[in-house]
Amino acid sequence: MRRSNGVTATQIALGLAALAASSSLLDKRSLARARKYRTGEPKQAKAVYDNRILGGKLDVPATVTAAKRLNRAAGMLALSVLADSGVEHYRGSFKNKAMFTPLIVSAATLGVSVHGTADRRKAAHIMRDTTYLLAATTGLIGTCFHFYNVAKKAGGFSWQNLFYGAPLGAPMAILLSGLIGFCSERVRETPRGITPSIFDLPAGRAMAALTSVGLLGTAGEAGLLHFRGAFHNPFMLLPVTLPPLGAALLARTAAAGPGRRHPFVRWWMRLLVTMGLAGVGFHAYGVSRNMGGWRNWSQNVLNGPPLPAPPSFAGLALAGLAALGLMRDHPDA
Amino acid sequence: MRQYRQSEPVDFVIVGTGAGGGTLACRLAEHGFSVVAMDAGPYFRPLEDFASDESEQTKLYWTDDRIVDGANPLQMGGNNSGKAVGGSTVHFAMVSLRFRPEWFKSRSLLGYGADWPLDWREMWRYYSEVEDALKIAGPITYPWGPHRPRYPYRAHELNAAARALADGCEALGIQWTETPIATLSAPRGLAHPCVYRGFCTSGCSTNAKQSALVTWIPRAIAAGAEIRDLAMVGRIEADNSNLATGVHYHRDGQWRFQRARNVVVAGYAIETPRLLLNSATDRFPAGLANSSGLVGKNLMVQSNQAVWGTMEREVRSYKGPPSLAITEHWNYEDKGKDFFGGYCYMSQGPLPQLWANTLLSARGLWGPHLISEMENYNHVVGLKIVGEMLPQEANRVTLADETDQYGLRIPRITYSWCDNDRRLIDHSLAFMTEALEAVDATDIWRQNDDTCHLNGTARMGNDPLTSVVNADCRSWDIRNLWICDGSVFPTVGGVNPSLTIQAIACRTADRIKTMARRGEL
Repeated sequence: MRRSNGVTATQIALGLAALAASSSLLDKRSLARARKYRTGEPKQAKAVYDNRILGGKLDVPATVTAAKRLNRAAGMLALSVLADSGVEHYRGSFKNKAMFTPLIVSAATLGVSVHGTADRRKAAHIMRDTTYLLAATTGLIGTCFHFYNVAKKAGGFSWQNLFYGAPLGAPMAILLSGLIGFCSERVRETPRGITPSIFDLPAGRAMAALTSVGLLGTAGEAGLLHFRGAFHNPFMLLPVTLPPLGAALLARTAAAGPGRRHPFVRWWMRLLVTMGLAGVGFHAYGVSRNMGGWRNWSQNVLNGPPLPAPPSFAGLALAGLAALGLMRDHPDA
Repeated sequence: MRQYRQSEPVDFVIVGTGAGGGTLACRLAEHGFSVVAMDAGPYFRPLEDFASDESEQTKLYWTDDRIVDGANPLQMGGNNSGKAVGGSTVHFAMVSLRFRPEWFKSRSLLGYGADWPLDWREMWRYYSEVEDALKIAGPITYPWGPHRPRYPYRAHELNAAARALADGCEALGIQWTETPIATLSAPRGLAHPCVYRGFCTSGCSTNAKQSALVTWIPRAIAAGAEIRDLAMVGRIEADNSNLATGVHYHRDGQWRFQRARNVVVAGYAIETPRLLLNSATDRFPAGLANSSGLVGKNLMVQSNQAVWGTMEREVRSYKGPPSLAITEHWNYEDKGKDFFGGYCYMSQGPLPQLWANTLLSARGLWGPHLISEMENYNHVVGLKIVGEMLPQEANRVTLADETDQYGLRIPRITYSWCDNDRRLIDHSLAFMTEALEAVDATDIWRQNDDTCHLNGTARMGNDPLTSVVNADCRSWDIRNLWICDGSVFPTVGGVNPSLTIQAIACRTADRIKTMARRGEL
């Protein structure tokens, strides 16, 4: 009785079909909106506040909508960090008290992000601003900690230590969450009639560029750890192929200049959201492949592929969608 | 599993199912030959049959009666033999290393031992085939020797014992790396990745270990081979036309005879010559395949000395596979040596019973002294060599007059170290002592007498006068008699032999296929 080592072509085809189907489901709403938008409208939106797009939310300016979406993206990332650092630092027995920091900070970031998502006001919030900056700082300091942890081991930045030492890229997720949240506040507080900007850069395109970098970094992290697993399952190739393509698309979007719509990029971002959420399922299957499977969950959740890691792709793709939405609603951004 | 009638001659009957026989059975069956592979031991199902108990697991060892003598009599059993389908790979330490290329021509290039009739470049290809079949978990780049393809799976995480080796090497300025080992670092088929249980040398109960039992044997069965366990082969039948006709074997309380067109002996370096010598006939009074008189001679074990110490911090060396880090520095560095050959050394992880035995046999500790030393068990760190010993004709396997439970004459194993062996051991002990001192280990002591792995006794070569088999493992005297295990090694090198044995078996199977196609069998 032998089972083939690889996953069959049928399984891969089924998986990809499921990914495409669920991302097009996600896309349904936007398709409907696009259809509505296309009727009798020129390709390039010229109105700063386009009532047709906003539908019933006439009272909410596009900047606030975009800001809320960015809050949602920051929250998704923070949730991923909270769960991931919770599991991984528990695995490391919280040997250093500083290992509690990302849990506290990501929980707070998640909290203010939920708050921001529900908030329709046009003003930045001091608590949110502070928390997002704190999150970004935590990400930077955490990265330093992780670099130090790897560097001090025999062999330094060897593959062994990159595979099994503190993951160098992981703290970047909370940094990205903080940056996205911070940008969200800048977009939100932009007065009517003024193009939202971040550090004098048009906000939509700046966010697209930031998300592009984030996607590349996260794909690098996934690539490293999937390489550690020798890509033993072909689905492990998805997060090292789809996100870099998405990053390239976003980078092109950022460079393309104002006033364009990017339906294909939006579709790709929805694919990445789906992939990020489906990744939890894949990793749950990965946990089951360890000795004892889910019956031995208390060991294998720590030992197997990290369940909360893939949604960080979803968080970044949501940020990309928010940026694209802002660019659509606010052609100069 | 397909089964063959005894009266019906199979293409190949293979005696032994370890690294040599198991691999060959698989590859021959996959090439379309009919194969019956016999083993004296049982066909264990590790998930059900293996316990986390060192004493229970001694059932994997070949502990039948043997006589050992010579100036340095060998300790037979756990460290060098197996009696189970899968042979000693069922309890091997999974260390899967390639020979240094020059060792295949050690007489011509390095001035000692004997040349192999094999070319290292061809072996390099077969090494890759075996590494892929076993999904060896190894480092991304291997620091020594010519380029080799990337190991199929990534190296495992180092345990604290391996980190101590690494720190020592860094302090002494030599290279080290993760040991390429045959246990999964990622899922494969139905097998889970290694759970770092640490019982590797007592038999892996999770099937993460890629032994012959879980890799080659299932493939062999899928390709139509029959595995006949608990079948002790006592004699090879040879007729007057210089051909083998089959094997007499003991199973279910009686002697039986399996007819075969070809017989392959793969019983490892003690049982292989014993079977050949026990099969003597009037036509072959000195034993089969023995016109050179070399069957049983040039037995080579490998030196397995260690240096142990105590660390202030906890090491818990028994966590994970025992030898996760290695340095082959002294295999590839020829300067600064006063001996021929080479050695590697690896980190160690003895289980408690083995460790207590070591303390007893090597240091004579007993009673309160032993108990107090065992309290340091979690802090023990050790480095152990696999060292090359030179071939000597006087180191040999002969037949004793005593017989065993089957009525077969038992082997007498004569072994003495030569001066070169001693110099190599002294060099290694001094170097490893330095390495442990460099990581601040205390109470450092040397384990001077231990050996492992059995090779030689039916060496391969280009000349029927000075070898037993040719490069294809085919005996010079009887053209349908083959020998495919560690016995055919002309030299042993300073690395564990299992990967080389399997590579030779893969090559032999391919050669047999080619020869069969040409009508040369």
